[in-house]
Amino acid sequence: MATVLNRLASAFAITGGILLCLMALLVIISILGRALFLLPVPGDFEIVGMGTAIAVFLSLPYCQLQRGHVTVDMFMAHASKGTQTFFDVVSSYIFAFIALLFAWQMLFGLADMFRQGDISVIIGIPLWIIFPFGVVSFLLLLVCCIYTAYLDLRSMRQ
Amino acid sequence: MMNVALPLAAFVILALLLVVRMPVGVAMLVVGIGGYVSLSGVDPVLAYMKTAAFWNYNSYSFSVIPMFLLMGQFASRSGLSAKLFDAANTFLGHRRGGVAMAAVCGCGAFGAICGSSLATAGTMARVSLPELKRYNYSNALATGALAAGGTLGILIPPSVALIVYAVAVEANIVKMFMAAFIPGLLALIGYLLTIWLYVRIVPDAGPVGPITGRDQRIKALLNTWPTLLLFMVVIGGIYVGLFDPTEAAAVGLFGAGILAWWQGGMRLAGFVDSIKATAVTTAMIFIIVLGADFMNIFLAISGFPEFIADLVTGSSLDPYVILALIILFYLVLGCMLDSLAMIFLTVPIFWPIMSGLDFGMPVSDVQIWFGIIVLVVVELGLITPPVGLNVLIIKAEALGTTLREVFVGVMPFLLSGIVRVILLVAFPALTLWLPQILA
Repeated sequence: MATVLNRLASAFAITGGILLCLMALLVIISILGRALFLLPVPGDFEIVGMGTAIAVFLSLPYCQLQRGHVTVDMFMAHASKGTQTFFDVVSSYIFAFIALLFAWQMLFGLADMFRQGDISVIIGIPLWIIFPFGVVSFLLLLVCCIYTAYLDLRSMRQ
Repeated sequence: MMNVALPLAAFVILALLLVVRMPVGVAMLVVGIGGYVSLSGVDPVLAYMKTAAFWNYNSYSFSVIPMFLLMGQFASRSGLSAKLFDAANTFLGHRRGGVAMAAVCGCGAFGAICGSSLATAGTMARVSLPELKRYNYSNALATGALAAGGTLGILIPPSVALIVYAVAVEANIVKMFMAAFIPGLLALIGYLLTIWLYVRIVPDAGPVGPITGRDQRIKALLNTWPTLLLFMVVIGGIYVGLFDPTEAAAVGLFGAGILAWWQGGMRLAGFVDSIKATAVTTAMIFIIVLGADFMNIFLAISGFPEFIADLVTGSSLDPYVILALIILFYLVLGCMLDSLAMIFLTVPIFWPIMSGLDFGMPVSDVQIWFGIIVLVVVELGLITPPVGLNVLIIKAEALGTTLREVFVGVMPFLLSGIVRVILLVAFPALTLWLPQILA
């Protein structure tokens, strides 16, 4: 279970990173096209914006597993292990709840965008295609939050 | 009459959540969502959440952040930092304190292709600490110089914090990048002067290093060409209007990636590590972006920023006194809070105040000037006790050094930083001159 979660979150993050590199490549092709043939890739900035959004969503679960979020450590540094664990676990559960809210509401966002047929201005990419990445990433983030909370509790018991 | 109690209570709750070590972005989300719900009810907030993350993340101007982060990761693996340090060391090493000066110069040069202070501090520490140790530099001077030098990563463009400021106040990122250049150089010079003074007072702290001939110097200098090229293309390209920042970041990412592969020996494993490290920082920043969005909506509905702005402008205090108070506030808050979170949280409140004050220059200039001051002050937070993230990074790299030693070592650099803030406030031209002549 733990390895599955780790692998899944890593796979999400790596996919996001590769997507980011592809976006950079697209921008470079667009620059070259503009410079050589006066022909940039049409709607390049739309694609890059959307690609970045997907990459950001995909990076969320991995960051939680790596405990990469910035915190203010100075006040809790001298608290007992039990106190630290208590607040860390509560924080993780609260984050899990927020992730759940976003996953849940983005489903409605997906439905809205799909029904209204919202598309990007220049090359008409349907906007709803971003939303599944958001929903799935927030759901995986939710699982990762619960998992980190579990790890904290277990390490305290030992 | 607006309800002041609610936003104030929100800030108290935010502070409490941070004290119990809730991640900064999560705490901002909790307070932002909570405050928004208490003012508007549950349904509008849930409706807003349908698309909030999408609209915040689907942004061409924000796409520059993960790209610059990945570029910095590649640059760290390119071996460029060692070449920069070596080149500076051949020129400065034979002086008293020279090896530390070389480390600071290396940080400055690396900062010109890297937008993050922590990456700059970490990379430079790995290549220069062994040398500093070899020439018997005191722990305090060696680590203090590196911790301070690391801040050049963000003071010299490209700079992630500056992008965040520009997005927050809707300023022109290109002009901000131009404005940051001279203050960045000033920081570098200030740090060098600090080392020069330091070894005059404590000569044993920085013994003389290697003496090198002219041929060796020229050879070492020529070795730094990839950094120079990358800087010219990326930052030069932005300055002369060849690229917009996202384009520059894409080109820089590509260039740094090639260098890391070709000169740094980065292969698939290194590439995967780079994008994983980028993912962690990206997610960290963008959770703060989302939290700041909810905080700002809540505060905007509550009318708090206008309230504070009216209060301050009505107080008939001198504008410079108000600016000094804001700077003081940043210095204190910077001791505890992450720099990006600080910019996201405070700029929407402070900028309306600043834009209403008369500093004898157009508001568009105040915007640039204030942005650079904020950047500089916020970065000082990276080296102030008790937390100072740069200090922690350097301590982790420098085995056998105590946290206390690093903080003692960094104090003179902190002083030079405060002198620099005073200079930047007193002479706005230091900031505004370059964007004016380049525009």
